[in-house]
Amino acid sequence: MPTVSSQDVLALAPVAILALGGIALLLSEVFLTSGKRGYQAFLTVLFAATAGLTAFGATPGKVFAGQATADAFSAFVTITVSFGLALAALVSASWLDARGAERGEFYALSLFAASGMSLLGMASDLLVAFVAIEIMSLSTYALAAWMRRGKKPAEAAFKYFILGAFSSALLLYGTSLVFGATGSTLLSDVARGPLQAGGSALLSAGLVLVAAGLAFKVAAVPFHVWTPDVYEGAPTPVTAFMAAGVKTAAFAILARTVLAAYAATGGAADSAFPRVLAVLALLTMLVGNLFAVPQRSVKRMLAYSSIAHAGYLLLGVLAAGLPAVRERALSGVLFYLASYTASAIGAFAVVGALESNGQPGDEPADAWDLERLAGLSRRRPLLAFAMTVFMLSLAGVPPTAGFVAKLLVFQAAVGAQYLALAVVGVLTSALGAYYYLRVVVYMYMRPAAEGEPAGVTSPVLSVALAVAVAAVVVLGIGSEPVASLARAAAAVVR
Amino acid sequence: MTISANWYLLLAAVLFCFGLVGVVSRRNILVVFMCVELMLNAANLTFLTFARQQGTMNGHAIAFFVIAVAAAEAAVGLAIVIAVFRTRGTLWMDEVSTLKN
Repeated sequence: MPTVSSQDVLALAPVAILALGGIALLLSEVFLTSGKRGYQAFLTVLFAATAGLTAFGATPGKVFAGQATADAFSAFVTITVSFGLALAALVSASWLDARGAERGEFYALSLFAASGMSLLGMASDLLVAFVAIEIMSLSTYALAAWMRRGKKPAEAAFKYFILGAFSSALLLYGTSLVFGATGSTLLSDVARGPLQAGGSALLSAGLVLVAAGLAFKVAAVPFHVWTPDVYEGAPTPVTAFMAAGVKTAAFAILARTVLAAYAATGGAADSAFPRVLAVLALLTMLVGNLFAVPQRSVKRMLAYSSIAHAGYLLLGVLAAGLPAVRERALSGVLFYLASYTASAIGAFAVVGALESNGQPGDEPADAWDLERLAGLSRRRPLLAFAMTVFMLSLAGVPPTAGFVAKLLVFQAAVGAQYLALAVVGVLTSALGAYYYLRVVVYMYMRPAAEGEPAGVTSPVLSVALAVAVAAVVVLGIGSEPVASLARAAAAVVR
Repeated sequence: MTISANWYLLLAAVLFCFGLVGVVSRRNILVVFMCVELMLNAANLTFLTFARQQGTMNGHAIAFFVIAVAAAEAAVGLAIVIAVFRTRGTLWMDEVSTLKN
């Protein structure tokens, strides 16, 4: 009978801080009746910062009989998620304030979601992963439905819920088959392979279902159909948080699961598992980029671009299968996630600041049209500059974070002999530059339409954008400190 | 007469497939939702059968986790279904489609 030690409890401190923070904000809604809620975003930032710092100082080791692992990897995930949460909270504050929809439950739900994401970074057991995914997902379903009187948010939340629940069910059934084959849900036991000689088919079936469930969460093609609709319909700050946080957490558990699956299926490069993953990565890179090109709506374009980025990240996870390049590939993936968090939240923040403040149930169809960005450089030069930085980073142009991230992942892919996939990655990135730079062209070279409103502006939003721009530039120019953190994080994952 | 464990596994697999097909093909939101629950319960049955077969209690404990999670999921899910019904007045998937390319 395993007992719970104080080390077990301490390791969960970041998760507990985020969850308790959420509960505190929920209770503040009960007891504080003042209409002013500006402080709640700052409290959220405070909780996020505390959680990040706690994760940084955690003693590494396996806890709860190996069901969770507190190591540099989980710390990196928690810090990235906390950073995303803090940025998204500031962006939400100005967005919700402009619509009179600011309530403590919003930040509480964000904190609960972040606690699930943080737990997901630690999970080294499929059941813990399932519970963490559900904590994360249930909170984000509710967040997506935040402006519930609107048609689009309700529909987005509904689609997200149905497909999310469906993918969780796939994951769970897969877990049950893995449990049957290996007698355990621990990833370390799964890596040892089936109990009996005849169990390998059962194990493979289970792992395929688990991988399919996770592929839904990271929006890999062909499990991506929900992404554009949900990202477009959800409130913009929520989309930003979903794109960055859910992706980071889901890739963390995907990486741990895939490594266990490689070990369980023999780890040979010619086994079917890496080949399936390679096809997924290829399709995701192609479909994400190709479908982003014709989009007029910037928000929908960013949704497809998020699929494309999932493809590059999958390429990194695939390369991690080879023990020789594992450390390089995983550190590339982690760096990519950090850089994507800053760039995507920043880009969605600008989109949110410019979108029309329509009445619920009566959103204009072109709320996020490219035209709304026309002439932005003259109306709001700083906002246009920030958006340019984010677009360059998402496109992977030096000297931004996105460039370094892509470089690290593609280098790892080449090192793992996935030459063709790396070439496809570079080519699709070039295609990506077209639709990202089109946004820049609209902002700087097109005249503004008559009577185009200047958009929302607020000090908190400015702070959030400044931090995001600084992060993108610092990660691009002086990437070494974060890259070395990512390497240290990747080195501990077996 | 005892029934072999494989029949339970088969039943679970059949239930899972019913749920899977239902989610993909049914057009009523509530029916789709019930199909997802069916899939979760198929997983539960599989956990219990394997736990019984292997003589461990782990699978039984997992079933409780799944039941708790499914309850939370139902609470959030039904709230979202109500939000959709309020804005549209319908529960048919085909009519809930403002978001399209």
